[in-house]
Amino acid sequence: MQCGLCTSSCPLGDAMEYPPRRIIAEAWNNSLERVIHSPSVWMCVGCYTCSLRCPREIDLTDTVWPAVRDYALQEGIQPPPELRTAFQNLYLYGNVFGYSPRKRLDWARNLEVTVRDLSKSPEPVEVLWLVGCYPSYHPRNQVVARDMARILTALGVRWGILGKEERALGDCDRLFGEEGLFEMLVENNRRLFERFKFEKIVLLDPHAYRALEKFYPRFGASFPAEHYTTFLASRLDQIRPWLKKPINARVTYHDNCCVGRRCLCFDPPRQLLQAIPGVELVEMKRNREHALCCGGGGGGMWLDAFITEHGGRRLSDVRIQHALETGADILAVSCPFELSRFEDAVKVARAEDRLKVRDIIELLADSMGLGEGGGR
Amino acid sequence: MMADALRIGVYVCHCGTNIAGVLDTADLARFASGLPHVHVARDYKYMCSEPGQELIRQDIREYGLNRIVVAACSPHLHEATFRKVLQEAGLNPYLLAIANIREHVAWITADRESGQKRARAQIAAAVGRVARQRPLEPSSYPVTPRVLVVGGGIAGIQAALTLADAGKEVILVEREPTIGGHMAKFDKTFPTLDCAACILTPKMSAVKEHPRIRLLTYSEVESVQGSAGRFKVKVRRRPRYIREDLCVGCLQCIEACVFKALKIPNEFDLGLAKRKPIYLPFPQAVPPVPVIDPQTCLRLRTGKCKQTCVEACADRQAIDFEQQEWIEEYEVGAIIIATGFRTFDPTPLAYYGYGRFPEVYTALEVERLLNASGPSGGEIVLRDGATPRVVGIVHCVGSRDHNYHPYCSRVCCMYALKLAHLIRERCGAEVYNFYIDIRAPGKAFEEFYERTQKEGVHFVRGKVGEVERLSTNGDGLRLMVTVEDSLLGRVRKIPVDMLILAVALEPAEGAEQVRQLFHISCSSEGFFLEKHPKLAPVNTASDGVFIAGACQGPKDIPDTVAQADAAAAQALALIDRGVVEAEPNIAWVDENVCSGCRVCVSLCPFDAITPDEEKQVAVIDPTLCKGCGTCVAACPSGAAHQDLFSTEEILAELEGILAQ
Ligand SMILES: Cc1cc2nc3c(=O)[nH]c(=O)nc-3n(C[C@H](O)[C@H](O)[C@H](O)COP(=O)(O)OP(=O)(O)OC[C@H]3O[C@@H](n4cnc5c(N)ncnc54)[C@H](O)[C@@H]3O)c2cc1C
Ligand code: SF4
Ligand code: SF4
Repeated sequence: MQCGLCTSSCPLGDAMEYPPRRIIAEAWNNSLERVIHSPSVWMCVGCYTCSLRCPREIDLTDTVWPAVRDYALQEGIQPPPELRTAFQNLYLYGNVFGYSPRKRLDWARNLEVTVRDLSKSPEPVEVLWLVGCYPSYHPRNQVVARDMARILTALGVRWGILGKEERALGDCDRLFGEEGLFEMLVENNRRLFERFKFEKIVLLDPHAYRALEKFYPRFGASFPAEHYTTFLASRLDQIRPWLKKPINARVTYHDNCCVGRRCLCFDPPRQLLQAIPGVELVEMKRNREHALCCGGGGGGMWLDAFITEHGGRRLSDVRIQHALETGADILAVSCPFELSRFEDAVKVARAEDRLKVRDIIELLADSMGLGEGGGR
Repeated sequence: MMADALRIGVYVCHCGTNIAGVLDTADLARFASGLPHVHVARDYKYMCSEPGQELIRQDIREYGLNRIVVAACSPHLHEATFRKVLQEAGLNPYLLAIANIREHVAWITADRESGQKRARAQIAAAVGRVARQRPLEPSSYPVTPRVLVVGGGIAGIQAALTLADAGKEVILVEREPTIGGHMAKFDKTFPTLDCAACILTPKMSAVKEHPRIRLLTYSEVESVQGSAGRFKVKVRRRPRYIREDLCVGCLQCIEACVFKALKIPNEFDLGLAKRKPIYLPFPQAVPPVPVIDPQTCLRLRTGKCKQTCVEACADRQAIDFEQQEWIEEYEVGAIIIATGFRTFDPTPLAYYGYGRFPEVYTALEVERLLNASGPSGGEIVLRDGATPRVVGIVHCVGSRDHNYHPYCSRVCCMYALKLAHLIRERCGAEVYNFYIDIRAPGKAFEEFYERTQKEGVHFVRGKVGEVERLSTNGDGLRLMVTVEDSLLGRVRKIPVDMLILAVALEPAEGAEQVRQLFHISCSSEGFFLEKHPKLAPVNTASDGVFIAGACQGPKDIPDTVAQADAAAAQALALIDRGVVEAEPNIAWVDENVCSGCRVCVSLCPFDAITPDEEKQVAVIDPTLCKGCGTCVAACPSGAAHQDLFSTEEILAELEGILAQ
């Protein structure tokens, strides 16, 4: 009905030449070919705010934008070069960095707990943990992965990973209109998962979790999956006795868009934080379904320069201001992208001495006496 | 009746193109003429029209028909019409069967071939059943000439006054301590800008003074029994701790209360003003009898208080701390439900900041601010006392939104224009309307829209997506509204001092209980459903129960009042007929077969069955039975029967369906 709520809700709507409402109007008018030449096409960061609010329940984020991008790619429009590289890597190596799959296990080198690498010796497990690309390769996130391994082991969970066979699930490229690449990844992953026996999949990456939850079933690939926040929150009774070391700090939590707005799951991460002795949880002015996106979704992770050029700002920088306004000592996150984005934004804001960015896993592990202290 | 004496006529209606556009009606008539006992079968464009009816009457006379089948629309619509046709032609009206080939076939079938087959089956079923139908005589009973009106908003007030002026007794039940409903909260009303108080308060006091209206405020209907013409209702009366019969409305008790300061948020002012534990919701309340709030009154809460109010009341002795809830019973012939609406709570729409920012108000709150006897005496002032220089009004908050209410609330555009006008008039502020579409389709509405445009009110086409609270260059705190101006095609950020949310109208609190209590239905949104949107707009599925006002759907005052008078007229029609003829579809128990197991007794939703202890059988009170058939289906011995739905008739119907 052209109410424009999508545009006025969009964190970058004012900067888009063709904001979401306009795209619908152009589609009605059969003039999308005008739209696809505009940088707007690549500016949606997949935050889902517009879709959640749209009074007509039009799924802009997960349906309209990917369709427009798919159309643009079909018409031979080149996406920004940073993104092209990322997708090429994904295609060739199964991760956006272009690292060798053999290095997938580097994070676990010298880890004191046993890692069941199912790709080497398949055995039935309770939890198939998909470590994810960032926690596998990105040094700051590798700490989180190790802490997670320690927590799972401490809880007596029988867990395993896919080692060098693990591949990205492909959520961002789907949003980016790379439907073909996505389908290929789904197919590969489906065959891969079917080879193993497990009760559920647990993931660190909310985007991947969301893809598995919402899009994989469309291709006949249905697997029970949980993001780690809900998985751990459901075991809070077991975790609580471990939480001995107080973390005396004001903590604010940033809802990631996938577990938050998309799955409307806001309480489990907060329950985990509140269980830690000494933590005083404070909320940012925008929280829960109203939280502001970090700007990393839908390909935004690789497009900071592009979006800053056309949008005039980086959302992670705006969001860090919200966190600073609360006076919190720690910004807790539950998404691998956010850790790196926000640490960077804290530097830009010159607030390293005031605000630390830490994954909930790290905070739990520290309080349980298991943590490496990443980001401390 | 002997089978060979049966002479059935079948009439297939085209219903314009509704039926004939999908089904071959001539073929259906040909098909019907081949069914057992059918003497005549015809098709015609509109069976319900006068020529169509005459066709049936003529055939009855000419061919001596003694059973009629009409294959047309739902019996809800025209069963009564065709029964009358039979009666006029000298037949018992219950020798009619309707084959519903419109709603059950034509409207829901895309495939003509299967549709044709199903229509044939429906007709065969009706012919089979009508052959077994017996002449029935409806029972009748006198009507109690008294009407219950539930809800004392403008709808209930209007209906009560019309009925009472027509000489009928009225029981008016209102849940709040005063009547008046939402209208009592407003200062002016669109589009004429009539002063709400000047047109409402005289009516309110007329209700109080009317010798034929019994006003029960602070009360709710507890139970309803019986049926059209003779309902028995119980009304639960909450204690106000002040006796209405002794109070003279001097209000000295309020003055004297030990609470010197006003401390408790006043519900009537939506918390914008404060009251004492003993209070009158607003100065023109009817009845003008104060209420004591047991949650905050020291005497009622702790037992300890100087009770200065009692002293002030002196020898009138109207204050009664011992008052308890009590039940009153009434017999009425008709019921009008006028329970109105409530406004949508915008708190879940976090991006509008309602509840977070003190500068964000709902429209209803602003109505109170504008009211000359409201918390600010009619001045537009913010919570901090400042006068706003720029005001924004967000339209469609909770309306036209699938996440909340998909429907349009119909009055918000107009009340938003009214607020814009009044705000400009009172404090000269710039006013921005953020709208999706301006809906001004009523009499003098478009003119009012144009008038506000000429007065310089701004209109921005787009829904607000974000409200922030910023300090703008030393101006103090201001709200920054982000909106896409879809006409300009760009996002605008507009600073305002006050933001008003034009909130949706939704079913009143407790509407679902009211619905169940009175056995009426509601739409998916929860508004009460009329029997037919065009032909029976104030009737409900329950005979004798009528609806009026915003409880049926969002509407403005003119429409509410019109509907209230329509409901009053329907109630009058029922009462003045003096007798009610009951549909003879009631259930009865064959005493020779009944084993006295009592299964049916507890199942009957209308409490119409009682066990006869002596004979050890179940007895159905024909005056309470509504013919739902529950007992007939449940009876393990097959002792319960229902006229118009005998086992024979139903089996014949099934045979007809299955044979095709
Ligand atoms: C902000 C705002 C401004 C408006 N401005 C205008 C305007 O300027 N002009 C105009 O024409 N219209 C206006 N309207 C619409 C107007 O309010 C309605 O048309 C009108 O109030 C409907 O009257 P009603 O009697 O049906 O309902 P209500 O006014 O809601 O009255 C219903 C009554 O029933 C009572 N009740 C509810 N449930 C029960 C129960 N279970 N038992 C007993 N009693 C019960 C309630 O307490 C209430 O007293 C406005 C609406 C809003 C929200
Ligand atoms: S997509 Fe939804 S939010 Fe956007 S203009 Fe259309 S109806 Fe409004
Ligand atoms: S998903 Fe977020 S970034 Fe993308 S268009 Fe919608 S509101 Fe904008």
